[in-house]
Amino acid sequence: MAIIEVVNVDKIYNDSDVKVVALSGINLMIEQGEFTAIVGPSGSGKTTLLNLLGGLDTPTNGKIRVGDVWLNEMKGSKLIDFRLRNIGFVFQSYNLIPVLTAGENVELIMQLQGVPAMQRKQVAAEMLSKVGLADRVSSRPAKLSGGQQQRVAVARALASRPKFILADEPTANLDGKSAESLLQIMEHLNRTEGVTFIFSTHDQRVVSRARRVILLEDGKIKSDFAQ
Amino acid sequence: MLVSLSWRNIWRNQTRSMVVVFAIALGLWGGVTSMSLINGWVKQRMNDSIRNEISHIQIHNPQFLQNEEVDKTLNVDSITSLLDTLSGVSAYSARLKIFSMAQTDRANSGLIVLGVNPVSERALSGIPEKIIYGGFLEGAFKIPSIVIGKKAAEELKLVNYEITDSIIKRLERNDEGLASALSELAGKSYRSRPALIRDLQATLKPSLFDRWADAIADSCAGYRLNTPVVLTFQTPTGEMHSAMFRVRGVYRTSNTAFDARVAYVNLNDLVPVSGLDPGQVHEVAVICSDIRKVPSVAKSIASKFSHLKIRPWDEVSPEIALYSALGDFMGMIYVVIILFALAFGIINTMMMSVLERFREFGMLMAIGMNRVRVFTMIMLESVFLTFTGGVVGVLLSTTFVMIFSHTGIDFGMWAEGFEAIGYSSVVYPHITFANYVQITFLVIVTGMLASLWPARRALKLNPMQALRIE
Ligand SMILES: Nc1ncnc2c1ncn2[C@@H]1O[C@H](COP(=O)(O)OP(=O)(O)O)[C@@H](O)[C@H]1O
Ligand SMILES: [Mg+2]
Repeated sequence: MAIIEVVNVDKIYNDSDVKVVALSGINLMIEQGEFTAIVGPSGSGKTTLLNLLGGLDTPTNGKIRVGDVWLNEMKGSKLIDFRLRNIGFVFQSYNLIPVLTAGENVELIMQLQGVPAMQRKQVAAEMLSKVGLADRVSSRPAKLSGGQQQRVAVARALASRPKFILADEPTANLDGKSAESLLQIMEHLNRTEGVTFIFSTHDQRVVSRARRVILLEDGKIKSDFAQ
Repeated sequence: MLVSLSWRNIWRNQTRSMVVVFAIALGLWGGVTSMSLINGWVKQRMNDSIRNEISHIQIHNPQFLQNEEVDKTLNVDSITSLLDTLSGVSAYSARLKIFSMAQTDRANSGLIVLGVNPVSERALSGIPEKIIYGGFLEGAFKIPSIVIGKKAAEELKLVNYEITDSIIKRLERNDEGLASALSELAGKSYRSRPALIRDLQATLKPSLFDRWADAIADSCAGYRLNTPVVLTFQTPTGEMHSAMFRVRGVYRTSNTAFDARVAYVNLNDLVPVSGLDPGQVHEVAVICSDIRKVPSVAKSIASKFSHLKIRPWDEVSPEIALYSALGDFMGMIYVVIILFALAFGIINTMMMSVLERFREFGMLMAIGMNRVRVFTMIMLESVFLTFTGGVVGVLLSTTFVMIFSHTGIDFGMWAEGFEAIGYSSVVYPHITFANYVQITFLVIVTGMLASLWPARRALKLNPMQALRIE
């Protein structure tokens, strides 16, 4: 069974006078272990789609299943808790708490999950070493480069043992080399540990690393192919 | 970790947090200081009053309390034999208490004359240590002694005001102009304070007069010791009796009204002239080793002497007990008002800090921090901020109280007003551990309340919108 199933989803923003159709008629299945890029020009609905998959927003029509749960059946703190235990997030920026060290940032999510302190420390160190930051456990985010910060965010997402990790333009603020190395790490984790990644981008080099590419245009899936 | 995260969060903007911390610290310092002054003041009044005036427990014939008639006495022997064995009693004094008219060569005035045993009275009361002129009742004289208060001495015109050269010399040290202005009055003697003051006013420039008149009057006051005072009072049979005493000492307490009325004579001198039988007294005053033992001691006495009226200090003088409670209450009100004002500063700071971190809260809520935790974090931040200010404030206040509880703070400028109502002009600030606990509690509650509004703002945020980068 696919870990994500999107059925006839529309998203219409109605908050101003003009109504914006951000997504329309989306149908999609994502399997365990995928390494999938959602691409498309700015305003095509990538962020909107990822927010819906992550349970941060609700579709206007249609429904979304994650694992064996339909997201529309959950609300409020139940949904927050579902996100905490099932979905990893990497955002474009503002991922980390500046007053916490890299290690503590990773630990924080495990603490929210109720993991005991001893285990938290150990897992945080392990995850940071997986993203190549073993020596930066006690650095504050301000002392890390943009690429390193994004890697900490990946380590944090990993530490929560999610079903999949959503990353909305994780490389948008990075230079080419850092973007390259972040993607390499994500790909490695996907290949060796089977971590499912769904990320959006409009960077062609990043797209080329994806194994499946979903192209959005004006809120519709224009193409969906494996490469 | 939430705790350490909150703690670190408040130091993100150090200047802003420091301003709040110091505002709270100063506010609390002000609050605690006024509280400790009120407390110290009231406590001192209470101690003075217990020590000099009412003692811990008073024992009377209940009928005496109704009209204070001279024949409503009690038998002292049975009581003293109990008091001698009762643990918790540290001193007692049996007294005759007779209202009399006192007459000197120059004036007369009503006095409450206490006939006491000087040794017992000294063990019990602070008055023998309050003698400012002469001595207490010890020492044998052919004509019996009387000790009166400073105010009574003035009313009975037992004070001479003499401007001697040595006084002028002493004043010269304070103010040179003063000495030369005063030389005109050198050697003059006055029978009353108003007469002296009148002359000073006529002689001195207004600025000098305002500043020095009272000090001059005090320093040149000389009490006419050994002046005869004739006391006239009613005997149990209704006749008027008179007896002559000589003034051997003048005392002064912080309560002018007391000083004006209460005089001490030797019990042995008073018994023969009072027409009462030896062994009869009007009042037994008791001091306990600890004020907390008063209720139990009073109870033991009452159980043996059901026909007598046994009154603990707070029954003798309920207003003193009331002031003591009121002092605490007023101090607390003051602290609450200060904290209330500070709460707005705390709300403002917390609000700014929450608004600045909107994206961060969005991120935290997105990855799975629930509302309870977000709320707890903001509340902890507010409580930490307030509490830090509280700790600094309490440290400041403790230092203040520690220093001045030994040296005292002299409100001499307004002393006359204070002493007229029974308060000393030197106040020793005093604060109890319970006060600190109450203040800490109030500070924490303020921090919690001040976090509610900012936390509400954070909770209303939609993580998706907070994270959307415009
Ligand atoms: N909160 C919103 N209110 C109104 N319109 C929105 C909102 N969020 C996104 N949109 C619109 O939805 C469309 C899709 O946006 P988005 O998902 O951010 O695209 P992308 O991430 O591909 O740039 C855009 O036209 C955008 O203006
Ligand atoms: Mg986007």
